[in-house]
Amino acid sequence: MHSNNYTLGFVFIVTVILGTLLSFTKENVRDLQEYNLKADVKKNILRSLNFVETESEPWSNEVVERIFNKNVQAFCVNTNGDFVDCILEEVDTERNIEVLPVYLKVVDNKTEGIAVPVAGKGLWSTVFGYIALEPDTDTVLGIQFYKHGETPGLGGEVEKAWFTNNFVGKKIRSNDDKVIGIEVLKGKVDSSNPYSMHQVDGISGATVTGKGVGSFLKEDLGRYESYFNKVRADGTI
Amino acid sequence: MELFNSESKKIINDPINVNNPISLQVLGICSALAVTIRLDQAIIMTLAVIFVLCSSNVILSLIRDYIPSRVRIVIMLSVIASLVSVVDELLQAYLYDMSKQLSVFVGLIITNCIIMGRAEAFALKNGPSKAFLDGLGNGLGYGMIIIIVSFFRELFGAGTITLPDGGAGYVLFSIPEAWYAAGYENIGLLVLSPGAFFILGLVIWTQREIFGIEEGE
Repeated sequence: MHSNNYTLGFVFIVTVILGTLLSFTKENVRDLQEYNLKADVKKNILRSLNFVETESEPWSNEVVERIFNKNVQAFCVNTNGDFVDCILEEVDTERNIEVLPVYLKVVDNKTEGIAVPVAGKGLWSTVFGYIALEPDTDTVLGIQFYKHGETPGLGGEVEKAWFTNNFVGKKIRSNDDKVIGIEVLKGKVDSSNPYSMHQVDGISGATVTGKGVGSFLKEDLGRYESYFNKVRADGTI
Repeated sequence: MELFNSESKKIINDPINVNNPISLQVLGICSALAVTIRLDQAIIMTLAVIFVLCSSNVILSLIRDYIPSRVRIVIMLSVIASLVSVVDELLQAYLYDMSKQLSVFVGLIITNCIIMGRAEAFALKNGPSKAFLDGLGNGLGYGMIIIIVSFFRELFGAGTITLPDGGAGYVLFSIPEAWYAAGYENIGLLVLSPGAFFILGLVIWTQREIFGIEEGE
């Protein structure tokens, strides 16, 4: 049996060595990890804007960077729809409600889509995503959820194509032109219902996640209403 | 000691065949169910487990005479947890897409009973080179099973075979559209966890038949 001092000393030394090893590793790979995270966010913006990854050119970080720089214009607006200065990478898309990032898809000098970040509570976690609209600021071009901690197989299905594809072509404005977002139903959409263009099928077993998605879409898109109205009034962006 | 005398061979071969950690000792089942949806995930997971298992075995075997037995479990856990964290950080840096798909299951290698089990049962009682071979053998035994399971789950569940390529995976083979047009359907159940149980059960049965292992003698 070893003495208490020996045991304590041994544990202390092992802890110091392992701690050093861990911080050394982290220090060496931190930049690369942050770069990956940023590229991943850009990748999701591109996907929501309906850019399609081709087999001949898979989306490595460099390719994503190139397409993004070439075809996406990024800036910020405020809740009145006026341009404001911002550092996009520092905008907190979950909490910040004053500075609103906007990503425009511009192909051959023609604006083809407007993507904005959305985020809010699901069941267990905050769900982060991007929703893109066509230039009419009404029709959904695409939606992507890229970060969440929902139950895999239930709420986690929000990131799957079968769910996000249902949003494409839906309308976020009501008949009197208010931004009302998209409602995620419990169950299937009844297409005979005139309201069905604002609704998508829910995920079985994930009613709360669906409700959360619906409510944060409404809230987050609502903050952009003034900007969307300006875009629509001007006809230009 | 010689590296490839009959004893060393036995240390490597046993966990692959007659004493396989998954199919015969039934350890590490949770990760075997979770990361076997796609072949590329299973391959990367296997490499991660082999790395952690070999390193933890060697490190613990090197310091086995100095570890106070009262705190040996704590020491084993901290060594294993540190190694797993290193693997997790490296995956996030160099194989980002893969690390997103494997998500928590890389971190959960810490709780994989195979690793603690080998440390306690083997590494603390044997020299570093034997411990290394034991880690390699058990890692390969684990890998062999999850690779077989994931191959069938992906092929019949999703209709593809994907190899790891540093990005989102290289699709080596996918079932031709014409088959689907002719009425072929993927078995959706295999993509879910119960599907892994069915395949795993068949693998265990086959392996016990081959090696003539009987239960409860």
